[in-house]
Amino acid sequence: MKRPNPIPVAVVAAIAMLAMAVPFLGLANPTAMSIAHRMAPASAAHWLGQDEYGRDVLSRLLWGARVSLSVAAASAAMACLLGTAMGLAGGYLGRVAELLALRSMDVVLCFPPLLLALLVVTLFGPGALTLIPVLALVFLPGFVRVVYAGVLSVRSQEYVDAMRVLGAGRLRIMLRTILPNIAGPILVQLSLAAAAGVVLESGLSFLGLGVLPPAPSWGLMIAAARSTMTQAPLLLLWPCLALSLTILAMNALCDALRDAVDPHRAPGRRPRRLPSLLTPGLLMAPAPLLDVQGLTIEIDTPAGPIQPVRDVSLGVVPGETLALVGESGSGKSLTGLAIMGLLPSVARIAGGAVWVEGRDVLRLEEGELRRLRGNRMAMVFQDPLSSLNPVHRVGSQIAEAIRAHRSLSDHAARDRVLASLRRVGIPDPLRRARSFPHELSGGMRQRTMIAIGIANDPKLLIADEPTTALDVTIQAQVLDLIARLKQEHGMGVLFITHSLPVVAEIADHVAVMYAGEIVEQGTAAEVLTHPLHPYTTALLRSAPAEDGSLPDSIPGTVPLPHQLPTGCAFAPRCQHRTAACEVARPALLTAHPGHTTRCIRWRELAGAPTRQAVA
Amino acid sequence: MLIWVVASIVFLAIRCVPGDPAELLLSQGGAAPDPATVQQLHEQLGLDRPISVQYVDAFRRLLHGDLGHSVQDDSPVATEIWQRLPRTLELIAAAALVALTTGLPAGLLAALRRGGLFDRTASWVAAAGLAVPVFVVGTILVLVFAQGLHWTSAGGYVPLAQAPGRHFALLAMPAMAIALGLFATVFRMTRTAVLDVSMRDYVRTARAKGVRHHRILTHHVLRNALIPVVTVLALNLGTLLGGTVLVEYVFNYPGLSGMLVDAVSARDYPEVQGIVLVISILFVTLNLLVDLLYGLLDPRIRQTVRQA
Ligand code: SF4
Repeated sequence: MKRPNPIPVAVVAAIAMLAMAVPFLGLANPTAMSIAHRMAPASAAHWLGQDEYGRDVLSRLLWGARVSLSVAAASAAMACLLGTAMGLAGGYLGRVAELLALRSMDVVLCFPPLLLALLVVTLFGPGALTLIPVLALVFLPGFVRVVYAGVLSVRSQEYVDAMRVLGAGRLRIMLRTILPNIAGPILVQLSLAAAAGVVLESGLSFLGLGVLPPAPSWGLMIAAARSTMTQAPLLLLWPCLALSLTILAMNALCDALRDAVDPHRAPGRRPRRLPSLLTPGLLMAPAPLLDVQGLTIEIDTPAGPIQPVRDVSLGVVPGETLALVGESGSGKSLTGLAIMGLLPSVARIAGGAVWVEGRDVLRLEEGELRRLRGNRMAMVFQDPLSSLNPVHRVGSQIAEAIRAHRSLSDHAARDRVLASLRRVGIPDPLRRARSFPHELSGGMRQRTMIAIGIANDPKLLIADEPTTALDVTIQAQVLDLIARLKQEHGMGVLFITHSLPVVAEIADHVAVMYAGEIVEQGTAAEVLTHPLHPYTTALLRSAPAEDGSLPDSIPGTVPLPHQLPTGCAFAPRCQHRTAACEVARPALLTAHPGHTTRCIRWRELAGAPTRQAVA
Repeated sequence: MLIWVVASIVFLAIRCVPGDPAELLLSQGGAAPDPATVQQLHEQLGLDRPISVQYVDAFRRLLHGDLGHSVQDDSPVATEIWQRLPRTLELIAAAALVALTTGLPAGLLAALRRGGLFDRTASWVAAAGLAVPVFVVGTILVLVFAQGLHWTSAGGYVPLAQAPGRHFALLAMPAMAIALGLFATVFRMTRTAVLDVSMRDYVRTARAKGVRHHRILTHHVLRNALIPVVTVLALNLGTLLGGTVLVEYVFNYPGLSGMLVDAVSARDYPEVQGIVLVISILFVTLNLLVDLLYGLLDPRIRQTVRQA
């Protein structure tokens, strides 16, 4: 849990302290009347004047705060204790307790809160002391639910099991392990209940069903001032202001606590595509379908800007597959997104150029880029379940891709949807087109994603780990499918993956990425059998071998983008490192025509027996 | 099922309370009531019979839509409720309409121009809307528009058929008072949901397909963001079923909740019982409707519902 924003915390603490200190402030008696000074304006003795019975307004205001806050705090605390106990019991003590705790809360939830409060007040009569249990009852279901949900998510986790194996008693398990884990949400719920308590207390008092006169309460003061509001609007203003500001502060506290508990709510920066900042492409675009030159991507972080992709150059020609290989975090997916103009909002292009069919896509208008996306170039993403919209049918999601680029009649669009489903080998396309994504298997979903990708016969297909989530058989089918589509339509494929066996199966060319740079590039046959960079060699060794011998994993980890070594990025993990390696960043050297490496020692190492056949 | 439980609880709770309802009723003058009168009232209310008989009897009548008679003036409770319920529902519907038509676009705009001037202004308005209790808003509206500017009268109600213009003029202020808080809720939920949905993978897919910007907004972002917004709005509407009490009181609006407050202060048990019952039934029905709507908006839920 992060530290919550200190301002609302301080304000609420100040209000609470003021309320506690009221009896020691030497204020006028809040209930002492003085009819002679009815509605007297502000004076030295009475800073905010006097009310319709001549009572001191400031004093009533502060005493009212005390009443409101203590009612709210007491009821919230009561609901919290009881609700936590019930939630824990319901979540941990088995079915009967679970049924009792949850069902009884369902009954409470059948009544709108204010109504429930009114009903209980009818039965037991108004007054501050009735109010506390009433409000506690209203808040109870919230706590039970939060705690119950928390217990459910925590109880199955390993450490609770571990504690149970160690023989810890049930009560001990509950209090020691589960409570600290759900403390955050409970705290948020507590602050919500306290804020709601102030609102409900004042509302009920306003109706004359809460705190009873002559005791001071903001709700009562507003009710009383209503009758005299034309003569003395200020009498109305003060309690309204006090009440609203208190609730505002408490709401802000709730928000701050929630932000602190929930890590997903961190604010982010608005992104910008700044094509004008780029160095204009000096090189003329050559023939290939995709040509990336010196692409550099920058992300601003609290620790300063980082460059997760640096000086990446690669190319794809029609009818060929280039595999972009690397561990996760090497920058390969970002490269793919940058080509599509789909970088996440925090990232921006810091240099380089990308040509697709001779068009400089980084400098295209968003409208022109849109016409290319899904039409001339398409991308298939890694996780098909989250990448498909859960609320639309599969068929209409494919149709949307087609219709974004050509105007077709409903009938023609449907025919094309069915045709593309058939092309990716989905049986019974008529029925599948009417399915929702969650109704399909993982393999079907990935085929659907590919169907969306190829719906408009793109020239370039970028596939980002399209087989990672799939089992081996389905994976082989998907790879075959992509290979077939490539041949049939002369499509160029940029295939992003971390798996060398997949590369061996599908790639014509390979580019190996490490820590944001391309470290080796060449034909698949060359790179897989005669690797020239120690990282490629290590990767090959770490791939599962066919004979079943255990792969050697690469020692160490990928350096973090803001802690890159000055010299060769792989140096900390390289067995062949020398002093020279750490002096300066190695350039991409051409070993043979069409085979490059970013290792200064490739010539010496080429003779070393480092090869290993890969599937 | 739930409704039966609710009705039973209301029934039992009223009878379990310490003190005799009849005595409480008659002792309002302060003096101890005359035992003969108490006895008479007992017979009239059927309180002299055993609880189980009363219970069965109450339910038999309930099935026929008979909620009993008011203790105050002996009028049938059901008739009075039928007369007032549409007014409260109209008030809530008007407030919801205003909140939705303002909160939804404002939330969307704020999310799209996140951190901009509009976002900051609207967020402040929403924070204020959540902080100022509804009866304070109502009172201030009366002070400014009725007492200060004399645009409308401070409150009241005119049937639609009688004078449509006056009807809506009188509806406007209480509806606005409720709508402010509701606007804040809808606005905040829309803003959060839109921000959340915009970062989902399927929105990226839509962009990768080359779909036009406004179509991405309507078909992907808004369509999915609507799910939590509708849920939150519906939950709030349920709360409002009992929560219009304060507004009806401030504006002297003769709705169902106002009737409840009167019944509570007069200790009119049949009335309280009837109103609480009707509101609870509405509340439960509304929650069922929300579940159905939820299924309509989210096909994943639809499937689990069908399986259940
Ligand atoms: S340059 Fe040096 S450290 Fe880097 S890979 Fe080559 S041998 Fe290893």
